[in-house]
Amino acid sequence: MTLNVLVQALLNGFGLAMAYVLVALGLTLIFSILEIINFAHGEFYMFGAFVTYLAFTQVKAPFVLALLAAIVVVGLAGGVAERLVFRHLRGKTLNAFIVSLGLLWVMQAVAQIIFGIQDKSVPSAFSGVLRLGGVFISIERFAVIVCATLLIVALYAFLEWTRVGRAMRAAAQDADGAALQGVNIELISALGFALGCALAGASGALLAPVLSVSPWMGALPVVKAFIIIILGGMGSLPGAVLGGLILGVVEGVGTLFFSSAAVNMLGFLMVIAILVLRPRGLVGGA
Amino acid sequence: MARSTFLGPAVTLALVAAVGVALPVLTQDSYHLDVATTVAMNLLLTMSLRLQLNTGQVNMAHISFMGIAAYASALAVTRLGLSFWIALPLAPLVAAAFAVPIGLVALRLSGPYYFLVTFAFSEVVRLVFNNFFVGLLGGASGLVDIPAPSPLLGLTFTDKPSQYWLMLMLFLLGAVVLVRLDYSRFGLLSGAIRQSELLAATLGVGVLRVKLTAFVIGAVWAGVAGAFFAHSHHVLHSSDFGLEPMVLLVAYTVIGGVGSVWGPIVGTILLTFTSEMLRELRAYETLVYGLVLILTMLFVPDGLVSIPGRLRRAWQRRRAGRADAMGVGVAA
Repeated sequence: MTLNVLVQALLNGFGLAMAYVLVALGLTLIFSILEIINFAHGEFYMFGAFVTYLAFTQVKAPFVLALLAAIVVVGLAGGVAERLVFRHLRGKTLNAFIVSLGLLWVMQAVAQIIFGIQDKSVPSAFSGVLRLGGVFISIERFAVIVCATLLIVALYAFLEWTRVGRAMRAAAQDADGAALQGVNIELISALGFALGCALAGASGALLAPVLSVSPWMGALPVVKAFIIIILGGMGSLPGAVLGGLILGVVEGVGTLFFSSAAVNMLGFLMVIAILVLRPRGLVGGA
Repeated sequence: MARSTFLGPAVTLALVAAVGVALPVLTQDSYHLDVATTVAMNLLLTMSLRLQLNTGQVNMAHISFMGIAAYASALAVTRLGLSFWIALPLAPLVAAAFAVPIGLVALRLSGPYYFLVTFAFSEVVRLVFNNFFVGLLGGASGLVDIPAPSPLLGLTFTDKPSQYWLMLMLFLLGAVVLVRLDYSRFGLLSGAIRQSELLAATLGVGVLRVKLTAFVIGAVWAGVAGAFFAHSHHVLHSSDFGLEPMVLLVAYTVIGGVGSVWGPIVGTILLTFTSEMLRELRAYETLVYGLVLILTMLFVPDGLVSIPGRLRRAWQRRRAGRADAMGVGVAA
């Protein structure tokens, strides 16, 4: 096996992994602020892909606008879900988890009623193949990696250097303490949930041209996102990025040696091992 | 004292049994019997899931134990040539043998970490069914040609009515055990753990032991359902034991109510009827399920069985309020 094969496998693994990191960052952000495991998070990703399908293929908007539309619309949908449902379940992890299973069904059913069960395909926004030394990557996948990276950097900057971002981190660390310092927890929860969903929507938008768009497309990324945030430590944003990179490497390199089922299984076995041996994840801390 | 404690549940169980026995007399329609058989099987699953939910744990791998027993029973009959009647008690024991180590590992965690670790286990089991030992387990095309239960004491179990009777008997057996368990010391300890795990632990309740017992007993009864499923469906696919049917079981149980042993019975029967009525409108069926689940958790988090008690308490408060008002009036 040459080095090129290895690098190629890593690149292939990273393309999807970076998009899943966006889903995972949203999931972990919501968990850190509301202590809610949102199993319907993949449906917000699916929603983002459908918004992109409508904006890009039906309205014929440029891809960047379709991506922005997905971020805004899915973010708003997340805000509505928080206001109507999840706000009342803050801290009630069990009830909120069951509600998210209900929401998963509702969103899948609504997508099925509106768009039907046929897979939709979104044409590539970018064509061509990039050659880097001996390895190849389609410009489309390269664009996914670049856009996802830009969004992650933007999220980091937002949380690190803006007032609202700091309030979100404060609420995640200690909601009561933050409230005592004058942080409007209700508002921050809604914004955090919306932001988390917007990230999933962005991921769905980025992957819409790469994968086929269907009401059930959210099932896989949410599972990958859970694996990622458990590897990195639930509630930790740098952990989610690290977890995504690890999953990308494991899946990319793993497929060289094992069947895809065995690679999937490896992901779940890592989750079990981490949860049992080091429940705070590889990064640790909050 | 013992009599007064057990009289209520015994009467309720007898009523459930009477409805089950009366059903084939009222209808010979094979579609109706088919639905009723599935309900009885699901009841075994939801009642045993509720046993675990009662300790505050959502075991997302519950359906995997049904799957393990289903595959075990099918293989025992087709590969080892055992009789169904030996496989039927054997398969749940196989499920229990897997449940003990998995439970010991998973129950070290609680809350969200517990859902996630059990979900990870369920996916591992599903992937094994789907992709590994394909020669033995049938892989993605499924484990096929599983024979119907063999005749016993001159009775055959190849047609719908006889399979209904078999499943009804299995369900009633399970219901008696699970209801009896709920009215025992074990039931009290479970409820105590659900309400406050920390408090229960400080009062000397062996929390892990109670949880593990619920986990393993749950796996055994899910296993009984699995063995029946294998020999009445004749084919097993990994997706029969995946996330989708698992979420359905959670919905049945939680909508009915976790705090009462009757909750899953109410939830399972009611939701099965609803879904049979909405069968023609596939996506709307899912939509209704999802909305009912969300609304239940928001407005009646203790499930439908808690509604009569709530109404009674509200009524008593109103009466008490009125009496107070009258008393004040007289004093003035």
